[in-house]
This record gives sequence, structure tokens and C-alpha cells, in this order.
Amino acid sequence: MKRWIGCTVLALMVVACRAPLRPAMQSTPPVPGSVEGLAAAIASDAQRSDVSSDSRIRAELATEASRDAEACMAREPMNVACLYGRAIAQGLEARAHPTRAGELLRTMLGDLAAAEAADAGYDHAGPARVQGLVLVRAPGWPLGPGDPEAGLAAARRAVALRPEYPPNHLALAEALAKTGDLNGARKSYELAHDLAQALPSATDRDGWLREADQALRKN
Amino acid sequence: MAAVSTLVFCAPGYPGGAGDAQPFVDQFAKAAVATAGWPEGSLAAVYDPSEQSGLQKLGGPDAVLAFVPFAFFVQHAAALHLTPLAQADVVGVGAQERWTLVAKVGGVTGPPLLPGYTILSVAGYAPEFIRRSALQAWALPPDVRIESTGQVLSALRRVAAGELVVALLDQTQAAALPTLPFAAQLKAVGQSPPLPVAIVAIVDSRLSAARAKSFQAALLKMGHAAAGADTLGALHLQGFVMPQIPRPATAP
Repeated sequence: MKRWIGCTVLALMVVACRAPLRPAMQSTPPVPGSVEGLAAAIASDAQRSDVSSDSRIRAELATEASRDAEACMAREPMNVACLYGRAIAQGLEARAHPTRAGELLRTMLGDLAAAEAADAGYDHAGPARVQGLVLVRAPGWPLGPGDPEAGLAAARRAVALRPEYPPNHLALAEALAKTGDLNGARKSYELAHDLAQALPSATDRDGWLREADQALRKN
Repeated sequence: MAAVSTLVFCAPGYPGGAGDAQPFVDQFAKAAVATAGWPEGSLAAVYDPSEQSGLQKLGGPDAVLAFVPFAFFVQHAAALHLTPLAQADVVGVGAQERWTLVAKVGGVTGPPLLPGYTILSVAGYAPEFIRRSALQAWALPPDVRIESTGQVLSALRRVAAGELVVALLDQTQAAALPTLPFAAQLKAVGQSPPLPVAIVAIVDSRLSAARAKSFQAALLKMGHAAAGADTLGALHLQGFVMPQIPRPATAP
């Protein structure tokens, strides 16, 4: 009985990009014509998937993001935006198709490592930050690629590279909590909160503040 | 209208939150009720990944059935008055599995486990299971430390690093050992007899004999019917067999 639990929950939430949302899907949108456009489209799909509770919509967004990611890779396979975009698209596919999540998340981690090698600072150290989140949240060996210790190392890399970006501290806090350092986690959540508080009001900032506050209330 | 009975799924130490698993256990309860010929909606299902809150749910008056790993069953069967009804047949594992004790090469070679060692396992929440079922041949000393961990990879890293720890792995984990980059530093030093993987049990005689019989028949039938097989497949199950509960070693 226990085995299925891991197999059905490999899907995880990985939203790491900031981009304007696409309008609500009425029909399949056209494929953007540039790498930048494709990357923005994938980021938008990730944001929409994050707030959607409808599995059908999440599956459609995953399909769309995968299509855009492949188009991006066909244009510039070594471009960090395409590698990172494909990784995000694989995360969306993993959410939409939990039975394939183990394989998808492993591939996702491979793309994130390649993206980090290409440009570690992309999306405010997004490749390392997202690796950290995936490694911390995914079920561990042997069911999935989860490895909290490696996740902690990745989150530390993200913080070291872009210490001013609140989500990096949120990712580090989550990794510290998962590996048992609750004091360290609390400090990171407090830092994420303070950094976010200092930013101008925006949807993203409010979300980071909410995440930090919720975690601090739990501890 | 009759009160709804509840089937409580509880698998401590394994990944998965209640929200993730709930649709699958709902589907399972619905299919089992239909196969058993019970009134539609008469059995609810709930999944709880935590031992403590799972125990709380099983203590509720509506909890009539439990679906739990064998380790949980051994640990709590007496206190909860669990009566086994069926044994899960898990995809890729079967109805029984062997647990494997893993140590660092050059360290522990066999019983007895030397003083100072700690046993790490996903089943560490169930020391009775570890002492009297999985490692019954090792006659563990009373003061041996047993710790629960959901981070098996970290546990194995500690073993490989030479800490005074050994890891007790389930069959799937043991089979995957060769995939680890540090596998050469680990070795299996003991194995349990074949033990059930998971048990469906009646809680505290809260199910009448007739309902128990019809539910058991439904479970045994589910793996053979197309609709039931689909439901089971979503849970990585391939069916159920009659329970064969091995007698645990007596306490020292």
C-alpha cells in the first residue's frame, strides 16, 4: 500500500519565474517567435498552473509550456532561457502526470544543472533555487530524485549568488527545515520577510510575505 | 440515514500528503463498496501520513477499517484491536517482502548488533516490528536505539560514512541499493523472513461479521475485475490475498 503514496505525489509545485500572465486560454495560443517570448510564455504558464486547482487546466498549461520549451530548444539549445524554460515545463508536466513524475523530475534536474552552468544568475539564481526546491520537495530515493541535503546545497548557492532576492531565502528556509535546522529556517524566513517588506508592493512581493509569515507562524 | 463508516489509510515515513492521496483513496473506497454490494457512500476513506494523527483517526468511532503497512500493524494491532482481513499485493513487490539490514563494509557482519549502534529505518516508528518481526533473528539488546527516518538516502550516507548506524531497508529500497554511487561501501548483513507488505484490518470489531465477510470477498475480487484493477493500479496495487500473519518472536 505504502508504495503508491510516493508514486502519486511526485508532482510538486515549481514556480520560479516572473512574467505577465497570459490571457485566459480560450484556444491554443500561437507559438511566440523569439526565445524571449517563448521563455516568457513558459513562465506565464507556470504562474497560471500554480494558482489553478483544475487538473484539466494544469494539463493544458503543461502541454503548452512543453510545446514552447521544445520550440525554444530547437532555436537555441544552449541558451539558458531555453534550458531553464524546458526544466520549468517538465515540472508542470510532472504535476499534471504524476505517474511519469519520477522520470520528468530527473530530466528537469538535468536541465536545471545545465542552465546553472550556462548562466547561474539567470532569473535571480533561478537554476539553483529551483533545483533546491525540487530536491527538497520530491520524494527521496528510491522513489524519486528528492535529496534534501543536495537541495540545501543548491539553495545555499542561490542565496550566495543573489542574496537580495527573497525567494532564494524562502527556498533556503524550506531546505533548512527539511534537514532539521529549524532555527536556521526561522532566520531565513525572517530575512525573506524583511527583504520582501522592503520592496514596492506587488503581487509577487505579497506572495513571498505570505509564505514567510505562514511558515513563521507554524514555527 | 446510517452513519458513514471510515477506512483509514496510514503509511508513516512514506512521502505524500493527505491532499495528494485523498482522490485515490476515495476512488478505492467507492470501488470496494460497489464490489462488496454495500450502499453507495456508506464507506468514506481518509489518508493520513502521520503515525500520531493516523492513530487518532483510528481511535474515532467511525473508523471501522485500517489500511496500514505491516510494521504499523505489528506495532499497534493489540492496542487498536486490529483483526486482519486481507493482505495487499503490491505491484513490483508482491504480497510479502523481506527487509534488509545494511551496514558499512568492514563494520557489522552479523548478530549480535554491537552496543552503541543505532538502527535507522522508515519503519523506525514501529520498534516492535523491528525487534520481533524484521530482525527477530538478531535478538536485539533492549537498549539498542531505533530511529524513524523518511530520509533513507541520508541514513545510508551516514552508514557509508562510518557512523555507528545501520539501516533497515524495505524490499524496494534494498533492490535499489546498487544504484547508489556509494553502493560499494555498503553491504547487506541480514534479512527478515518474508513478511506482509500491508494489511487491511477491522478496527476494534466495529464491523459486523456479515459486512466483514462481504468486504473481504470484495477485496479478494477487486484484482480480477477490470474496474477494480484500474482502481488498484492507481494505488500501485495488483490485488489482495488472504492474510497470512507470521507469528512474531516473543519478547525477551
